[in-house]
Amino acid sequence: MIFVELILQGLIQGSIYALIAVGLTLVYGLLRILHIAHAALFTLGAYLGLLITNATGSLALGFLVAMVVVGVTGIAIYRFCYHAVLDQPPHVALIASVGLFIAMEEGFRLIWGPTSISFSEPPWQTAVVVAGIQVKTADLITIPLAFLLIGGLAAIVAFTRIGLAWRATVTDPAMAGSFGIDALKVRYLNFFLGSALAAAAGVMFAILTNFVEPTMGGVPSYKALAIIVLGGLGNVRGTLIAALMLGVIESFGTIYLGWAMDRDAIAFAFLILVLMVRPQGLFVRS
Amino acid sequence: MTRGSLLLTAGLAVLFAATASAAESVKIGMNLPQTGIGAADGKSVLTAAQIAVDEVNADGGVNGKPVELVVYDDQTSPKFSVPVATKLIEKDQVPIAISGSYSGATRAAAGVFQAAGVPYISAYAVHPDITRAGDLVFRTSFVGEVLGRAGAHLVGKQLGKKRAVVTVMKNDYGKSLARGFKEVAAKFGIEIVNEYEYSLKDRQFGPIVSKIKADNPDIIYDTGYWFVAAPLVSQLRGGGVNAPVVGQEGYDGQKFIEIAGAAADGVMITTSLDRDSTVPKIKAFMDEFEKRAGYKADMVGASAHVAVNVAVAALRKAGSLDGKAIQAALQQTKYEGVTGKIRFNEIGEAYKVVQVQVVRDGGWHHHSVITDAKLLTPPLN
Repeated sequence: MIFVELILQGLIQGSIYALIAVGLTLVYGLLRILHIAHAALFTLGAYLGLLITNATGSLALGFLVAMVVVGVTGIAIYRFCYHAVLDQPPHVALIASVGLFIAMEEGFRLIWGPTSISFSEPPWQTAVVVAGIQVKTADLITIPLAFLLIGGLAAIVAFTRIGLAWRATVTDPAMAGSFGIDALKVRYLNFFLGSALAAAAGVMFAILTNFVEPTMGGVPSYKALAIIVLGGLGNVRGTLIAALMLGVIESFGTIYLGWAMDRDAIAFAFLILVLMVRPQGLFVRS
Repeated sequence: MTRGSLLLTAGLAVLFAATASAAESVKIGMNLPQTGIGAADGKSVLTAAQIAVDEVNADGGVNGKPVELVVYDDQTSPKFSVPVATKLIEKDQVPIAISGSYSGATRAAAGVFQAAGVPYISAYAVHPDITRAGDLVFRTSFVGEVLGRAGAHLVGKQLGKKRAVVTVMKNDYGKSLARGFKEVAAKFGIEIVNEYEYSLKDRQFGPIVSKIKADNPDIIYDTGYWFVAAPLVSQLRGGGVNAPVVGQEGYDGQKFIEIAGAAADGVMITTSLDRDSTVPKIKAFMDEFEKRAGYKADMVGASAHVAVNVAVAALRKAGSLDGKAIQAALQQTKYEGVTGKIRFNEIGEAYKVVQVQVVRDGGWHHHSVITDAKLLTPPLN
């Protein structure tokens, strides 16, 4: 029984990781940039979702505003941070990204204060019993929500014109360009969707913990990196599976390996183990 | 005079006046978190410390001179507390300093102050090694082990619970509390069913909650700060774990209740500030604090208020700014303030009673007081 519970908890945690990591792997897949500042979008989504919900009483509005505003912010980050340095060596974009991440965290602190903020009426807190396990409604919603959003992303990629353009640009940018595909629009879409997913993760995290503060993106920022390497850089399905796997491994590791290592260290121990055996990650880049 | 030289003269006059008045004040150095995870506590510390300074200055200051706080941000990190300590010693040349910060930062800074011959008071940081830095380091609040022991007293003796799960926050603070709890648990008839550790950064405790549910303890003793404990307690209740939770002064403050919401109800802690106190001095402090800060007084604020007053008492008694004289005065100091009566042992540890508070009606309230002298005697080494 405890094993089932630990797996469930792991999948819940993994779903949040997946929502963050997918955006990160999308950016890498398209532009070969390690978009560290992505985690700051997670934090921004949490702040916006919480503040709007507190102000208007509508969680749906909170989610919507968070996802849209953060999506647009993602585009702005591409435009003002990465676009100009695309032809520079990769470390330039990386350093810019790290600097932006730090600046954004400090920005959150300056605007919203250094201490945490919470929901005035936390949503989705009713207790629910599922297969003998008691959880809050929020816990139950996390997994389907992640699947819905990532599934939606996959549907856009598979079934729309812009999705086709996107796939073409990832596979062969030069060829896609010669077919008249607007690379800039594809990039904007990429950043918008990835950032919106991170924002959703942020709002969900805020609901699960009722605790939003400027540095909450710190741990997800490097954990998401481990996940996208595990999943195969640029491979969305691989990232999703790696995220869920990591959630479950952390879940068991917290209880049974807690004496040996920190919960966050487990992610990296797992990464090192996998890379020793399969240097390309668990799944090959698609 | 030309306008330029008039301005220059005026400017110089102001400068001289400023330096003159600064030279006249007695400085008390402070390191506290103004940014980072401890910033909320830092605000409480600064507010309360300033209240104490204003009261002291209204009362004639120290030997006729006003007291002035020299404050720097250490972000609760030893990385910053050490340079801050050096700055206070060499640039500001403070005769005495107070830590309004957490154990990690305080421990590092204590060594620096001891080596420089400047007395240092830890307002609320609990790690035992802080006072072990030397004879110049004092602590006006509980050492971790004592607070942990008090927790065991509450759980075993007062509440009569037998099977406990201990959840430990993995840092100086959490670990020293856990040590104290485990040291005397058996004496109070407590069986520790299981122990789980978590990091300062954790906010999601799903796996731990599930495991505790399977353990089915009578009670849970937790050693975390409010920002990890509030999600933990909320998730415990959400996961159907209804065993009472006993925390400690790391929970102390309105923030814990704000974040945990209904889940905070009934949570008990071992701390130093009694919100329901009828002592006029304590009530006056709580009112003034709430007026200035905009939220209710908490343990870290109360501890800072005490630390400043103890420092001032020692400065007055010593009659000079000499480190050794202040140290000797501190050693003899007996003070009664907003956390009760306090006196020091040979290694600078404070002895005082423990206030047990409980969450009721959205606020902290009086539960009981632990006065067992032997239990609360801080270690001599």
